[in-house]
Order: sequence, then structure tokens, then C-alpha cells
Amino acid sequence: MLAELINPYYLQVASFILINIILGVSIYITLSTGQLSLANAGFMGIGAYTSALLTLNFDLPIIVGIMAGTLLAGVFGILIGIPTLRLQGVYLAIVTLGFGEVIRVIFVNWESMTKGAVGLSGIPHMGRELLNTVKDLGFDPKVLGLQNNQFVFLAIFLILLAVTVSIIAFFRRQNRSRVGRAFAAIKLDEKAAESMGINITYYKVLAFAQGAMVAGFAGALFAHVLAYISPADFAYHRAVEILIFAVFGGSEVIWGPVFGALFLTVMPEVLRFISEYRYMIYGLIIIIMMAVRPQGLIDVNILNWVKLKTSKRRQKHGTSSQKSM
Amino acid sequence: MLIEQLINGITLGSIYAIVALGFTLVFGVLGIINMAHGEIFMFGAFIGVVVTSTFKGPLWLAFLAAVAVTAAMGYLLERFALRPLRNKQGVSHLAPLISTIGVSILLENLSHHIFGPGNHPFRASFAEISFQIGSITVYLVQIVIFVISVLLMYALSFWLGKTKAGKALRATAENLETASLLGVDVKRTITMTVIIASAMGGIAGILVGMAFNSVTPQMGLSIGLKGLAIIILGGMGNVKGAMAGGLILGLAETFVVVYGDSGYKDAIAFAAIIIILLIRPQGLFGQKISA
Repeated sequence: MLAELINPYYLQVASFILINIILGVSIYITLSTGQLSLANAGFMGIGAYTSALLTLNFDLPIIVGIMAGTLLAGVFGILIGIPTLRLQGVYLAIVTLGFGEVIRVIFVNWESMTKGAVGLSGIPHMGRELLNTVKDLGFDPKVLGLQNNQFVFLAIFLILLAVTVSIIAFFRRQNRSRVGRAFAAIKLDEKAAESMGINITYYKVLAFAQGAMVAGFAGALFAHVLAYISPADFAYHRAVEILIFAVFGGSEVIWGPVFGALFLTVMPEVLRFISEYRYMIYGLIIIIMMAVRPQGLIDVNILNWVKLKTSKRRQKHGTSSQKSM
Repeated sequence: MLIEQLINGITLGSIYAIVALGFTLVFGVLGIINMAHGEIFMFGAFIGVVVTSTFKGPLWLAFLAAVAVTAAMGYLLERFALRPLRNKQGVSHLAPLISTIGVSILLENLSHHIFGPGNHPFRASFAEISFQIGSITVYLVQIVIFVISVLLMYALSFWLGKTKAGKALRATAENLETASLLGVDVKRTITMTVIIASAMGGIAGILVGMAFNSVTPQMGLSIGLKGLAIIILGGMGNVKGAMAGGLILGLAETFVVVYGDSGYKDAIAFAAIIIILLIRPQGLFGQKISA
């Protein structure tokens, strides 16, 4: 019964949606201080390669690899973040874009380590490793009525879901804290924020490092879900893809990039004939969105409207009297 | 050997310089980084391939066609990606950058579909003509490229400095509102700037096709990113800086290939901008940054 419902293909797509959502969150964090960073694809690559190489060469457990990848991406985020804070707007965008290219060139050329353009294959697969562990403990997925590979993809999906939900929850919480208010103040007006006593450098580097860590984390997950990575996975196209999650969905609220990632990952899967023209459509979406709705589809107004609708419905069911706003 | 490499470096550098001139013109007037410039350049190269290889047309026709097509693309870019964002309330200063990224990704994939992926050879009859000066071989193409790029830079400097249209353009660059109050047709000036910059990209595209005998849909991205690196190196919005920056990068890349590791050729540009932005953010020839 349960077994028929679980289709590995759908689960795989769902897993990629979740990874893309994490990437969307990563660009949202830096954008929430008003900085446009195009280095997230590079950070993702750092996370992916670090974790893959550690688990391949030193037989470390996957979780250690993912943590190391995340941390290293964060360290690079700080290293890039501190000097680039002198730069604003377009300069920062170009330098981060350049950084991404440098990372890619290094992956391609450091052949003894990264196998060059061919990429790394045979990376320990998160789901299969888990299956083996579970089997060693004497548990057989058949007890639940699941095939082995169904169990594998279901496990990946559930892990990613839990991780994604906690990341979103964390940043939603952070937005309402001192840190989030500082971010918002810096985004609105840097000078004013500084004169209010906000340590701009600290918060900008913090946002940059957080974005890098989240991107690196997503990259490490990507490596262990796909079991194969190559430098092309982290090139300019990936940077643009991450950017468009925020442009399409919106970068004012965290639900913007989440929605953008969800919609833009599902679209090419559902409409197969579109996937060939995917990047052309991405380009058009960016141009149209910038001209018509630069804040993205989901902004504060829409969110309030949705909240209002749902609360109204609740009220109607409850007291059934209030008609006003 | 050394002198031959020097000539190769200067050829490459001249091409980079023309690409960078297109960037610098748009940035100088509009304060916008035109990420689609590399792709417009790539379309220029493809038009050259189509005219000379598919239709067996002469080279001058290829130049004319490339200039016409890229100029039209420049107009469309300005009309649909940049103009809607101008004078709009509450638009972030990053919006034009993001919008041109959209154009770049659209054009790159469009050319994939129109021209097909992979390498397209460029058959120009005089690409093989070379001279022997002592022990050095110089190709005619190299001389042509160098001459065209110097001419372009000179014409651009003259046009910006001495003509009325150039003056209007500089006034627009200084301050958009003031210029329009003083009777400069700002809208026309901006459109013209983007068109000229794009047409220069088209010329550079054909030159690259002739010099390297290969045209691919991906070349726009790599050359475009290098053009960006050059204008940062030479100072944003600075015509002579773009020329010098292009030559420096061309020579540096050539010598890395000869004496170092060719794989890292493409990383030089970005390593250079990261360093230059840390040490001298206004660029080698820039005055100062008005951030």
C-alpha cells in the first residue's frame, strides 16, 4: 500500500527541490543586507568538493564531510566577505562572479585532486549508506513494506525535508531577532544604520558568511544525493539559477526564494517540452520580472494578504460575525 | 620566440580592449554593467561565420552585417531591458545588472538553438597570409586586428572629446537630469551609446573569429567576463584605461600559457581584479571612485 505510493522518481525531484530551496535561502540571506553575491555557486562547489573528497579519500562518515564542507565554505565566505565589503553594488557582484569563476578553474585544473573536468564519481550516497547502517543494525526495510531503493530515496527526502524546514525556521527566527533587524536596517540605508550604532562590517560579513555556509551545505548535500559532481555543476549557469530563485520568487521575505526554487524546479519536470528551452525561459523571466515586478512575485503585501485571507476564514468558522477588515 | 609571443599577446590584448571599450562606454554613461555585452559580441562572431562560410560572402559584408545585427540588438537591449527600469521608483540599483544577466542567458541559449553547439570554424581567405621578418612570423590578421582596435579607440576618443554628440554624451554621464535640462536629448543619447557599444562588440566578435578560427556559443561568457575584469583593471568608464587594461591582460595570458600553466589562463583576469580591487579600487588609470 505504502509501497505503491512511493515513487523514487518523484522523491528524487522532491529532493532536488529541497536542495534548490536551501540554495535560494543562501542568496536570500546576503540579499537581505542589500548585497548581491553571485559567489554562491562557488561556495556550493567548495562544500560539495570538500565533502566528496573527505568521504572518498579518508572514509570519513558523510555527516563529518558535510560539516567540514559547510565550515570551509563559511571560512571562504569570511575571507571573501571582509575585503569585498569596501565594494558596493555592482563591484561586489562582479568580484563574487569572478570568485566563482576562479573556483571553477581551480576545480578543472587541480587534476590530481579533483579529476579535472571529468568530475568525481562514486561519492558515498547518503541514502545507500543509511540503508547499510540500518541493515547492520538488523532492520530490514521490508518490514515497512518498502523496496530497498524506495527506502533509499524516502530516507534522503525525509532527511532533506527536516534539514530544509529547520534552516527556514532558523532564518525566520533570525529575521525577528536583533540580527535580522540589523540586516534590514543596513539594506534600507547603510549610513543611517551606522549612525544608529549598528556595526555594519560585522553584520555584512555575518550575512556573507551565513550565505556561504548555507550554500556550501547545499553543495555537500548535492554531492551525496547525486553521488557525482563535476566543475560544470558549479559554473555561471548555477550562479544564475540561484539568482533567479530570488528574482522570480522575491527577496523581501524568505518565502520568496523558497517559492521561486519550488516553482522553477517543478516547471521543467512537469512540462517536459520546456526543459530544452529552460535557460531561455529563465532569461525572459529575469528581464520581465525586473521590468514589471522587481521585488519578485512574493512580497510583504502578498504575504499579508494571504495571512488575512486565512485568518478571515478562521474567524468566519469561529465567530461568523466580523465583516470588517 | 619572445617577440612572436609578444605579438600574439598584443593581438589578444587588442581584442580584449575593444570588448572592454563597449563595457566602459555603457558604464561611463549609464553606470550600468552590461552583462549581455559578451553575448552580443558572440552574436557578431556568428554573423561573421554565417556570412563568410554559409553564404560565402566577402569579409567586408560580414563586417557590415555583424555591425548591423549587433547594433539592432543593442537597441532592443536598451529598449526592453534597460529603459523600463530607468526613472522607476523603488528599483534597486542592482536591477539593471540582473536584467542584463537575464539577456545574457537568453542570448547564449538562443544561439545554441540557432547556430548549434560546438565549434564553428571561421574561413577567411587571408587568415593564412603571413610575413617573415627575420625569424619572426607575423600574420596579416594580427596586424589588421591591431590597426582596427587602435583606430576604434582613436575614433571613440575623438568622438567623445571633440564632437557635439560626444559632449552631450559626457554631459549625460556627468548628470542625467542636468543634461536634460540643458537641452540634451538624454533618451536618444543613451540609446545611441548602447547601440555604439554593441556594434563595437560585433566588430570585436568578427576579429576574434578571424584570429582564433573558432566561434562557440560559450565564448560570449568567457570574453564578457574578461572584459569586465579589464574595465576594473583599467578604471571603470575610462577609455584609455580599457585599452591599456586589455593589452596588459592579453600579454599576461599569453605569457602564462608560454611560461606557466595554460590551464590557469582563464583565472588570471579574476585573480587580477580581486587584487586590484583590494589595493587600488579605482583601477590602474582611474581617478577616484564615486561609490
